[in-house]
Amino acid sequence: MTEIIVVTSGKGGVGKTTTSASLACGLARTGKRVAVIDFDIGLRNLDLIMGCERRVVYDFVNVINGDCTLKQALIKDKRIDTLFVLAASQTRDKDALTAEGVRKVLDELIADGFDFILCDSPAGIEKGAHLAMYYADRAVVVVNPEVSSVRDSDRILGLLASKTERAEKGGTKVREHLLLTRYSPTRVAAGEMLSIADVKDILGLDVIGVIPESPQVLSASNAGTPVIMMDESDAAAAYGDAVARLLGDESLPMRFIDEPKKGFFARVFGG
Amino acid sequence: MKKAAAATPASVIDLRFGQVGLLQVRLREVDAPAIKAELAARIASAPQFFQHTGVCLDLSALEHPPEVATLRGIVEAIRLAGMITVGVSDASPTADQLAPALDLPVLAGFRQLSRPPAQLVRAAKAAAQPAPEAVSEPEPEIAPPPPTSGLVHTQPVRSGQRVYARERDLIVTAAVGAGAEVMADGCVHVYGTLRGRAMAGVRGDTNARLFCQEFRAELVAIAGVFRVFETLPEELAGHPVQAWLEGEALRFSRFGV
Ligand SMILES: Nc1ncnc2c1ncn2[C@@H]1O[C@H](COP(=O)(O)OP(=O)(O)OP(=O)(O)O)[C@@H](O)[C@H]1O
Ligand SMILES: [Mg+2]
Repeated sequence: MTEIIVVTSGKGGVGKTTTSASLACGLARTGKRVAVIDFDIGLRNLDLIMGCERRVVYDFVNVINGDCTLKQALIKDKRIDTLFVLAASQTRDKDALTAEGVRKVLDELIADGFDFILCDSPAGIEKGAHLAMYYADRAVVVVNPEVSSVRDSDRILGLLASKTERAEKGGTKVREHLLLTRYSPTRVAAGEMLSIADVKDILGLDVIGVIPESPQVLSASNAGTPVIMMDESDAAAAYGDAVARLLGDESLPMRFIDEPKKGFFARVFGG
Repeated sequence: MKKAAAATPASVIDLRFGQVGLLQVRLREVDAPAIKAELAARIASAPQFFQHTGVCLDLSALEHPPEVATLRGIVEAIRLAGMITVGVSDASPTADQLAPALDLPVLAGFRQLSRPPAQLVRAAKAAAQPAPEAVSEPEPEIAPPPPTSGLVHTQPVRSGQRVYARERDLIVTAAVGAGAEVMADGCVHVYGTLRGRAMAGVRGDTNARLFCQEFRAELVAIAGVFRVFETLPEELAGHPVQAWLEGEALRFSRFGV
């Protein structure tokens, strides 16, 4: 059974691509066969974060248009051999995607026996975002602890409940998960950001992971390494926990959600 | 076939008298600059709500019938406020003369017009015949009576979504998000947090009320009388609240105090 998971948010720049890359790596590390697809046509990003930008020959739109086979376009990850990337086209626009085209590619991946297909959605609620979520079985809604991001996520949750194939055919609904990222316990304590409880309360959903704000995310993406692969990073550990919860482990407690305790010197000198 | 005017397979339009959202502007004065200023101020509180909205002019509160030229000035003032005048309400006896001079239709009370024709037929037949016989003979064309229980909505109403209960109450057993809209011809009940907009009595029922478990609404309207909440009054915010109409005034109260 293949599971199609969309990583979406409504608002731009909240961490969808960072999340797609890390979840894909995390799932593949457990031995699952994983394909991660960049739906952000014209603003190709995922290949950079995955560190395979120089190996992109064919892209998602090429496969849809029949310029190449799916096998030719799938880029095999150098670190994990059950992980594959399908890059977005940088030169086309979002109109190059069609529902039939997307369906065809997904069907081929399913027939090939992939366990998970991750769809990295573009921002917004237009065609690209719509097609990224349309065939999803599950959705990871990425949200930052601020009012505008939460509002956009609410909008996206409404679309997941009405504008997906599952919703239109009246089958079981898309399973929705919240992933709170760029979380800063210090700023939450200072009242500058919404708390986990606020976000849960407004959106009425449980949180599958809380990723702390971390400078390692930027250095990881500059190095072309999904942050989950960085040892000794809080963000990596938090993404690891989210992967475990995605695979059904409900017992893990949330980590990195409390204000860091200040050491003696920090307390004395105001750290 | 329950369509108002049954379409043949080849037809390119459907004809039906339906319910449309129009803003009723009842004139108390015919002072165009004053109307313009007041519209601008009231719209500023909820600009998207009014942008390109159709307006029905109601002249019934004016003591003397206005001049056509004056009315033209008012239509222009409404246009400058970003809205479009689409008709004159039949509530005033002079509407029939003034509307054609402005090139506008007279809009009749929506309640009767929007009722399906079959029901009108049934009502007329019932009036014309002694009741028992009329009831024993089934009428194939009769539309089913409107449901008496409310429309129950158990999913969260998300930003951008709209749920409407026609000819009955709406009961939402989940949260209504900011930017979402819940509407009913009857009462609106929200057993969750109301962060979006709630409109009760949307077809003019002034007895309709709003009830909600946790009040954080952006806008509340009853029978067209509305209030925008730019900031929530402290005595209401987060509490169980009901709203109702008292004459022309919208009232709010907290439960359990
Ligand atoms: N946990 C984090 N801590 C610090 N920075 C982060 C974190 N997560 C993401 N970022 C930064 O936020 C920016 C946006 O991230 P990303 O590209 O993943 O977002 P996106 O939602 O895919 O954006 P778009 O809507 O443009 O596709 C990047 O600069 C990334 O490094
Ligand atoms: Mg992205």
